Amino acid sequence: MTATANQLSTQGLDLRYGDRLVVGELDLTLPGGAVTAIVGPNACGKSTLLRGLSRLLAPAAGTVTLDGSDIHRMSARTLALRMGLLPQQPVTPEAITVEALVRLGRYPHQRLLSPWSAADQKAVDEALERTGTAALRDHPVDRLSGGQRQRAWIALALAQDTELLLLDEPTTFLDLRHQLDVLDLVAALHAEAGRTVVMVLHDLGQAARYADHMVVLKDGRLAAAGAPADVLDAELVKSVFDVDCRVIPDPETGTPLVVPMSRGARRGREPERAEARRAEHGRGLDPG
Amino acid sequence: MSTTKGGSMSATKSGSASATKDDSMSATTVAVRPKSTARARVRRRVTLFATTGLLALFALLTLSLTTGEIPMPAGTALRALIGLGDPGDVLVVQEFRAPRSVAAIVAGAGLGAAGCVLQRLFRNPLASPDVMGITGGASLGAVALIAAGASPTLIPVGALGGGLLAALLLGVFAWGSGLAVTRLVLTGLAVQAGLAAAVNLMIVRFPAELAGSALQWTTGSVYGRTWAEVWGAGGAMVPALATALVMNRQLAVLDLGDDSAGALGLRTSSARLRLLVLAVVLASLAAALAGPVTFVALAVPHIVRFVTGPPTAASLALAGLTGAVLLLASDLVVHHLLPIEGLPVGAVTATLGAPWLLILMLRQSSPVQRSQ
Repeated sequence: MTATANQLSTQGLDLRYGDRLVVGELDLTLPGGAVTAIVGPNACGKSTLLRGLSRLLAPAAGTVTLDGSDIHRMSARTLALRMGLLPQQPVTPEAITVEALVRLGRYPHQRLLSPWSAADQKAVDEALERTGTAALRDHPVDRLSGGQRQRAWIALALAQDTELLLLDEPTTFLDLRHQLDVLDLVAALHAEAGRTVVMVLHDLGQAARYADHMVVLKDGRLAAAGAPADVLDAELVKSVFDVDCRVIPDPETGTPLVVPMSRGARRGREPERAEARRAEHGRGLDPG
Repeated sequence: MSTTKGGSMSATKSGSASATKDDSMSATTVAVRPKSTARARVRRRVTLFATTGLLALFALLTLSLTTGEIPMPAGTALRALIGLGDPGDVLVVQEFRAPRSVAAIVAGAGLGAAGCVLQRLFRNPLASPDVMGITGGASLGAVALIAAGASPTLIPVGALGGGLLAALLLGVFAWGSGLAVTRLVLTGLAVQAGLAAAVNLMIVRFPAELAGSALQWTTGSVYGRTWAEVWGAGGAMVPALATALVMNRQLAVLDLGDDSAGALGLRTSSARLRLLVLAVVLASLAAALAGPVTFVALAVPHIVRFVTGPPTAASLALAGLTGAVLLLASDLVVHHLLPIEGLPVGAVTATLGAPWLLILMLRQSSPVQRSQ
């Protein structure tokens, strides 16, 4: 049971916005108890897939199941007790404090007339503690830095206290230091708190470093899925992103690292000429 | 694979997770002290605001019971309220002054709460039942029932029907825009104007039936309210206000946007609809008592927000209290302070409301606001 717990899968999933098919005939299994990264080019349907997985978008065809049961047959509350989501661009209510924001994560746990309980407060305190935002609890969220704000939002999802956490591009608009902060937090949630994490990421190297399982989408279809070391190679990057590259072991972690070919090489010229050009212009890039 | 993976995990974690914590701590320790007292300050402000509001309400109520054609000392008026003292005083206080004052309190509370709910629901500081045509619709519904000869206890029902009709019209005309701010307000103003015209038409068409209450339904007034009317609308208002307080949690979750709210297990469309209907009920019951009174619902949420900061359940309750104080005070001004006889309370609130709406519009369209 533990091996399959919190396993999300899709069967023949079609997701549409109006007439436009964004994700088509997707058969996917996201392992429970692991960190999964969904990657792919812009507009390949990554975020749409995440919305489909979290029931925000109803499938045009096919099903999404969580441990075998159709999520569209669960009540909204039941699902919210099992799965939390951080949207790509969450709306921060004006002047709300960090703690007030995080408290909203307890919504699915509260009955209509039940007062705020000690268990609610404990979950909020733990979420603040774990995300390093406890000292910020009385600060207005809209005055925090991007990285702090993202941590506050992750704290909200943690206060929801779900086994499964879906994150839509949690590192977008953050500088490198804060990207790593967020990803480290995700890794810690997985390693220490045993959460299953599914996140959409842009950076292939980061996805390979932080994920156990990788799902590569292209034009709304599955291009590849599996362990990053098995999946990520030059051929895949060429076919999915249309970029010539070398995939080398990350010198720090040994995970696959995508290094795009130089500009000249990508245009089909011999590397020597590219070298010569670079030497001539002093830089690799010229505005030609 | 699994070995490299494990290595990356521990390496990155020990690398900067601790650094993160240290950083956030050191960055905030300076600010922590004043901020945590800031929370206590908000709480103190709420308490102070509530106490002041209740005292003001009591003072205004006493004032409204004591002043009038037959002035009487406060003690006499309060004793007359419970049926003691001179039968003449008892009649004046119990049958004329008290229902009028209670009507102002109930209607004001309903308008304040309705404005609060609508402004949060539409994330729009201009949203209010009088700008969006809901009170106009409620007035039309009430007028139609009176013209048809229905009993006064049915007025709230008519008002409710009219209010829902106005909300439906607003939905039909403003829907395509995805409820965009300007379109909603402009459509609301058009709906309000059309419904007000229909009210005027009814008053001209049925002069005999509506003679006594024409001003109430065109401008808004609590003059001449009877206990039958007050009990009808007031009896429904109390559960409506309680529902609003209970549903405040859903409002707070909706503030997070549809995706976050949906992920927290709230069915956003039906929650929006429920809250909209609730706001219509609050505003329509208020209109059943006081007609299409402007300004109160628009201004009260801003006043409360100014004092207590970001909205909470407490601020929703305070909005009701502030609305009651505001409408009762306006009615007192109309009744006793202005030299013009028979002016409706709606005239005072409209005089205050027009510049207020203008200021809000200007602030909304200022470049600073737009860029946010």
